[in-house]
Amino acid sequence: MNRTVDIIKKQRKATEAAKEKLKEFNRMKKAITNALREGPATIPQIAGKINEPTDKVLYYLMTMYKFGMVEVDSIDDMDEYYLYRLKKQENKQ
Amino acid sequence: MLEPKKHYDVLVIGGGIAGQETALNLANLGYKIALVEKDYSIGGKMILLSKVFPTLDCAACITTPKVSETARHPNIDVFTYSQVEDIFKQERGFRFTLRQKPRYVTEDCTGCQLCEQVCPVVVEDEYQYGLIGRKAIFIPHSIANPRIAAIDIEHCTLCGLCENVCPPKSIDFTQQERVDEIYATAVVLATGYKLFDPTIIKRYGYGKYKNVVTAMQMERQLVPTRPFNNILRPSDGKVPDNIAYVLCTGSRDVTLGNPICSQVCCMYSTKQAQLLMGALPMADVTLYYINIRAFGKGFCEFYQQARSMGVGYVKGKVGRIFEKEDGNLILRYEDIETGEVAEAEHDLVVLSIGILPNKDYQNLFKNVRVEHDPYNYVRQVDELTSPARTSVDGVFVAGTASGPMDIPDTILSAGAASSETASYLRKVYKEIQPSLS
Ligand SMILES: Cc1cc2nc3c(=O)[nH]c(=O)nc-3n(C[C@H](O)[C@H](O)[C@H](O)COP(=O)(O)OP(=O)(O)OC[C@H]3O[C@@H](n4cnc5c(N)ncnc54)[C@H](O)[C@@H]3O)c2cc1C
Ligand code: SF4
Ligand code: SF4
Repeated sequence: MNRTVDIIKKQRKATEAAKEKLKEFNRMKKAITNALREGPATIPQIAGKINEPTDKVLYYLMTMYKFGMVEVDSIDDMDEYYLYRLKKQENKQ
Repeated sequence: MLEPKKHYDVLVIGGGIAGQETALNLANLGYKIALVEKDYSIGGKMILLSKVFPTLDCAACITTPKVSETARHPNIDVFTYSQVEDIFKQERGFRFTLRQKPRYVTEDCTGCQLCEQVCPVVVEDEYQYGLIGRKAIFIPHSIANPRIAAIDIEHCTLCGLCENVCPPKSIDFTQQERVDEIYATAVVLATGYKLFDPTIIKRYGYGKYKNVVTAMQMERQLVPTRPFNNILRPSDGKVPDNIAYVLCTGSRDVTLGNPICSQVCCMYSTKQAQLLMGALPMADVTLYYINIRAFGKGFCEFYQQARSMGVGYVKGKVGRIFEKEDGNLILRYEDIETGEVAEAEHDLVVLSIGILPNKDYQNLFKNVRVEHDPYNYVRQVDELTSPARTSVDGVFVAGTASGPMDIPDTILSAGAASSETASYLRKVYKEIQPSLS
């Protein structure tokens, strides 16, 4: 297949910023997915497990939610924090 | 990319509600319009709002029919992700350069979003004001028009995955920018406003304290296609139950260079407070204000309604915000009624950021100068009898490009701009060919 991306690749290279963003998402996605394999969890619980700040976990978890990788499981007894779980197809992997 | 005509009756710069309304009115009179929008889609700020005060109509429901009418109108050529440069006033009309930038996706895109699924790069989503991420290839937002993806080439790793999956083969990395020289008889400036950047007020901690957000971020949280699964505070995903608003953030403050009232913050905060009470029935919402300005039709009643729903109004000037370890925030404010300094704790703080002039118009023209008013908005040379006229004959202004205003006033202003432009066109064309008009 003739791809136009192969043409542009001769003219320019991926920026460092692009490579950084790719790496960071992959790393966070993997960590969050592993944490959720143990069962549904709130954002502070995930953050505790993977040792990352809660705001960063929220940002990536909610991005994964948008792209259909995670879903809402329930809300805690205090009605304060939601618990999230992996979507079915992710579970099987 | 659209092949532009050589000549248009009117160049409208800016595709917000003001630009669309002006373009539609003039197009319905038979004039040919070039509508140039710098963003990937038209709609301006309004298309990103939740509901509108004081009627609480859904913003998307009002604005999307207008957006599609603009996009489909046979007399309007819409140029998105494009810019106007080097406008020269000529004996009759204007000559300008139109630059259409590559989005690396062609008009064949069906908006299926398969590319978004496979793209491996996540970047802050500007249409959700950074609350979540988007991919390097993305449809701007759920109701974007045109609904065509775009590639953020600065954050693209050139992996080609999007091109592999795109069903209509609409990814085109060879797309180049297109530059044309065009003529228009008249110009309408509908370039809108800029939002105040609250990082400037260090005392409020925006950017540092994650639970201090802007009203625009709250608008996005109140839209059904919200960034999170519910309204959550950004530090840790807690459902907030005690929310504060700091009104006049960046407005009516000489030290910040913006001494004027933004006209909409009191009312949009009052609107958001009502919507929050509906969405989070257990939540307390408190507005810290200097004066409440509820001057428009139905505004005072809207404000009374919020009070009767239980929204707290504290006449207090917030001096500083402190963050506690649990992410809660302490607001230190001067109680204007008693003159005393008081403190209150909240778990989410919304800054009701003001409206600032968009000065783009000041660099567009090469041989004439569109004058500005004392606050850097486009100067209305005859505000009382001809509100759309500017200091340049044939250049008109619509909407918030001439000063802060709400949507109803923007529509009125666009109405004035279109009728003044139409009578200008008739006059000019009569001079050229008296028999025709
Ligand atoms: C948080 C918030 C909530 C609000 N809620 C309400 C509400 O409930 N009810 C209400 O009545 N009002 C509300 N408003 C006010 C409302 O947003 C404005 O009245 C309205 O959007 C003004 O429309 P406009 O077309 O003048 O400007 P904009 O919406 O700013 O549109 C300007 C357009 O021009 C484009 N542009 C700018 N420069 C250029 C250039 N150089 N070349 C090409 N294109 C350019 C921009 O990309 C944009 O698309 C709210 C405002 C805020 C900040
Ligand atoms: S080529 Fe760029 S936009 Fe396309 S999938 Fe790869 S990183 Fe994303
Ligand atoms: S670029 Fe292709 S894959 Fe992406 S939304 Fe458009 S049609 Fe779908």
